[in-house]
Amino acid sequence: MPQDHLITTENDTLAYGGMVAQWLAPLPHTKVKRMTLVVNVRVEEEEGSGAEKLSEGKWGKGEKARKTERGVEEGDAKEKHASGGGKTGENKEAGAKHAEKDKTKKVKEKKESKVAETSSEQGSSEEDEPEEEGGEKEIRPENLTPEELERLKVAVDDRKKLIQILRGKSWAMGKKLTMLRESLQFIEKYEGALGKGKGRRFYAYKVMMTKKWMKFQRDFENFKTACIPWEMKIKEIESHFGSSVASYFIFLRWMYGINMILFGLTFGLVMVPEALMGRPYGSMPRKTVPRPEERTAMDFAVLWDFGGYAQYSVLFYGYYNSQRAIGWLKFRMPLSYFLVGVGTVAYSYMVVIRTMARNANETGGGDDNSFNFSWKVFTSWDYLIGNPETADNKFASITTSFKEAILEEQESRKDDNIHLTRFLRVLANFLVMCCLAGSGYLIYFVVRRSQKFALDGFENHTWWERNEVNMVMSLLGMFCPMLFDVISALENYHPRVALQWQLGRIFALFLGNLYTFIIALMDAINLKREEEEVIKFNMTIWEASLYNGTVLTNSTAPPFTVEPSDVPRGPCWETMVGQVKFVRLIISDTMTTYITLLIGDFLRAVFVRFLNYCWCWDLEAGFPSYSEFDVSGNVLGLIFNQGMIWMGAFYAPCLPALNVLRLHVSMYLQCWAVMCCNVPQERVFKASGSNNFYMAMLLVILFLSTLPAIYTIVTIPPSFDCGPFSGKSRMFDVIQETLEADFPPWFGKVFSHASNPGLVLPFLLLMVLAIYYLQSTSKSYKAANLELKRKLQMQNEENKKKNKRAALKAAMDLEEARKASSPSAEQEGNTTSQQVQNDRERLHQGRNRDHPPSLRDQDGQSDHTKAPAARNHHHANNGASGHLSGVPRQAEPRMQRIPGAQRH
Amino acid sequence: MASPAIALAFLPLVVTLLIRYRYYFVLFYRAVLVRVWKDCVTGLRREERAFQYVLTHATPGDPDSILDAFDAWCSEVEFISNIGPKKGKILDRLLSEQSPLTVLELGAHCGYSTVRMARALPLGARLYSVEMDQSNAAIAEKVIRLAGFDDDTVELIVCPSDEVIPRLQSDFGLDKLDFVFMDHWKKCYLPDLQMLEDSGLLGKGSMILADNVLFPGAPNFLRHVRRCGLYEWRVHRATLEYIKGIRDGMAELVYQGIK
Repeated sequence: MPQDHLITTENDTLAYGGMVAQWLAPLPHTKVKRMTLVVNVRVEEEEGSGAEKLSEGKWGKGEKARKTERGVEEGDAKEKHASGGGKTGENKEAGAKHAEKDKTKKVKEKKESKVAETSSEQGSSEEDEPEEEGGEKEIRPENLTPEELERLKVAVDDRKKLIQILRGKSWAMGKKLTMLRESLQFIEKYEGALGKGKGRRFYAYKVMMTKKWMKFQRDFENFKTACIPWEMKIKEIESHFGSSVASYFIFLRWMYGINMILFGLTFGLVMVPEALMGRPYGSMPRKTVPRPEERTAMDFAVLWDFGGYAQYSVLFYGYYNSQRAIGWLKFRMPLSYFLVGVGTVAYSYMVVIRTMARNANETGGGDDNSFNFSWKVFTSWDYLIGNPETADNKFASITTSFKEAILEEQESRKDDNIHLTRFLRVLANFLVMCCLAGSGYLIYFVVRRSQKFALDGFENHTWWERNEVNMVMSLLGMFCPMLFDVISALENYHPRVALQWQLGRIFALFLGNLYTFIIALMDAINLKREEEEVIKFNMTIWEASLYNGTVLTNSTAPPFTVEPSDVPRGPCWETMVGQVKFVRLIISDTMTTYITLLIGDFLRAVFVRFLNYCWCWDLEAGFPSYSEFDVSGNVLGLIFNQGMIWMGAFYAPCLPALNVLRLHVSMYLQCWAVMCCNVPQERVFKASGSNNFYMAMLLVILFLSTLPAIYTIVTIPPSFDCGPFSGKSRMFDVIQETLEADFPPWFGKVFSHASNPGLVLPFLLLMVLAIYYLQSTSKSYKAANLELKRKLQMQNEENKKKNKRAALKAAMDLEEARKASSPSAEQEGNTTSQQVQNDRERLHQGRNRDHPPSLRDQDGQSDHTKAPAARNHHHANNGASGHLSGVPRQAEPRMQRIPGAQRH
Repeated sequence: MASPAIALAFLPLVVTLLIRYRYYFVLFYRAVLVRVWKDCVTGLRREERAFQYVLTHATPGDPDSILDAFDAWCSEVEFISNIGPKKGKILDRLLSEQSPLTVLELGAHCGYSTVRMARALPLGARLYSVEMDQSNAAIAEKVIRLAGFDDDTVELIVCPSDEVIPRLQSDFGLDKLDFVFMDHWKKCYLPDLQMLEDSGLLGKGSMILADNVLFPGAPNFLRHVRRCGLYEWRVHRATLEYIKGIRDGMAELVYQGIK
């Protein structure tokens, strides 16, 4: 069904089906029914009140109007029946028979309208038959006379017109559908036969080709949409859960795209060249599993932690060789590694900032505060909702938002106990701070403990103790937001504000966790580097002894016969960071997410669904209930996960690949989980506007996560015996090396001149100035925009006032003119209607006595401006009735409201 | 052996659950623990204790004061699942709009809702109140008489509802019910409703009001109402009687008949 949303071609036969489906989709069935009912009544009223002219339009007739004419048409039908029967017999010489074009046309129209009726009336079915027969004969265009052709053309045009205006008709749905289907069939059948003379065949061919082309275009559109990954899934979710949940999935897909590109960069420029052209496994110490680990290197438990053979592979920093150019391509491996590391970060910055800028353009500078209730009335409905339950929820949430807004309005007038509120807010923040501090301390404690374990050696401890840090971080990240949510109930904020506070708090929590983690990481790096110093010293001794040994034996064997796996080696802190910290953290985080999903959502849903038959209270509506999809938590989780990737991608090239895998799986899993075990949110809020908030958070996280990565790259010297930068004093020395070796000398000279502070500083200054200039101009543009908007509003109001004044004046003039002319003539004509009018009016007065006069006035005005004809009519009535019943003149505005009352 | 740090990480969850479901804990305490304790201490049943309180605190013959006394006892001393003052207002409003002449109440318990309804009925109306439990019915009888309603206004039927409903036509000579109030066992809502449909006692415009459809809840009842298409229905959302944090609702059905 959602496929139908995509169809854009208008004139095609199938497209109409799509349009109808699309138009059926957004409203739940019951509501459609009710609405058509209302519309029906209104139209009938209109027609009853004497708009007989309206029925000029052949298809515009309401049921009622048609019924009143039934009697007249019955006779017509008899006559036509005879003529129709004749027509079927002598089709070829029909020219003379249909001299009265008008009449036959009318007959035809009538016939068609009969066809459209769903009521299984005897007459209509009888009348259908000759039509059908005639149709079968008429399909051959050569047999048609020009008149018939003309008629046919008109009929086809009429059908087309009908299809276009069918939407606005006030018929029952079933009738509309049958009508549509029949009209489409009719057009299909006769359109091809409409060409003239010789060109007829060509015309038919052209029509056919146009249709084929349209179909192809539509198919192509569908194909294009099918090529957008997960579009259908997301649309389906959107229709069930509203746009806020869908926005999460769109965000996830966007993230997936970015990670795909990161993955492409690292995979294509780093991992594949190294695997293909670099020296093979086992050729060097850094590319070999060390001897003591060899025994367990293939165990699943080890591989699962990315140890063993996984650790000594292209997946991690340590495996890469510092050879300047590898393979027959002379691929500059270290340079490529460095540039890819920088490029991924630069690309991420670019994408995030560009998306932010694009989103910022979309949110116009409208003022949300001034027309609160109007916004709520006209814009709260989410038209993408296609599920009755969600529609009910949305309905309820709109109602509650109205209630809340009214309460808020009332509360803003009277000042309640502000001290209590303030106290509660302070208390809530205090509690949250306590919670944050507690969780921070817990993580700190756990990290310290894990360092102790690391000194002892991890093998001596249980699985729980080894994974303590990750477990605690995941659990805290999962449960603390729930606690914050509960605490925020104290504060009594508006839901939107509360959501922002909640997001801010979760952000603080995650950030705290992240930075505790980074601090622990720094400690670990420093430890490893001390270890490295010791090993470096030992290495020299070991090499010397080796050298001495070979000298003493004095054999002819090559000087280095030691197996690469036996060579002592440094701890390689880069691999440690990539493997132990980031990869394991990502994996445990992913596992926690999936397990939470399975237990918290799926098992809970199963429990609620199936134990509800034999439980003592209503599980579905009561205590456990089904879970809602937690948009903010999921988005934050995604963002922080991405931050981890950015931080660790330099030391573990496999991280983007892992993340792509994770996002892919979680796309399917979460789509399934949402559709299978979540219920639509009770408080469905719109997604627009929150997107940029997410983006801003992503940017902050990107900055915060690249900071430590850059810090380590710039300040800490690389390990001496592993990685592409081994042997250099800093990682970025590779740039200088390339400049010296691979570029002509003048280039290096230019570069060194360009990097001279005397040039760089003015350049930076210029950039700052440019940014400042651009910013100030954009600000002034914005101000001008706002000014313009205000002016437009003012002008609009001015116009309104002017119109109002003019209308009032015209009304007065008219009144006077009426008074001047004899009122008696009208009086007689309208006595009965006046009676009714008076009654109604009295009723109306009773009901609307408490309306402020300005409102009444305005209503009257709007009627003036909208329907001048009606105004005249009613003014006549009002004047007369005022005359009759002796209602004083001041009652005028109240009377003017009458047409409004009729309309409602 | 899990480490204590991991156990500590679960602390926020526990606190969250405690805070979020505090009303349910309060309800459990008041409705179960206090009741059992008082039963042991006084040797009286809960309804009897309530009646004693009402007897000593209310003015005989004045339904309002009896209702107030009940409310005071239920919100301050112990918990009885009466309809309560807030949902009672909805009930009063519906009754005054409908002004029914024949009213059936399923589940009188200790007479609170019976008094409440009898108070709001028009002159000449008759209320049939069904209570299954013998001793509860005795209390309800006393309360009703205390409020000053005689046999002509309120008739108390001591019998399970599923036995009474088929006999209503034959034994009590009823031909149509204008208003039915359900507040007995939540499991019986659906079968009783179906029995009422079958018996033909419901005419077009008959109103059925079912209490506690969200908590403790009658999902099958609601499902049936939603699906069968015999009713115009809506759920009045409110909170559970005497405990404000638990959401509850009353279902209002208006019988439309088969169209």
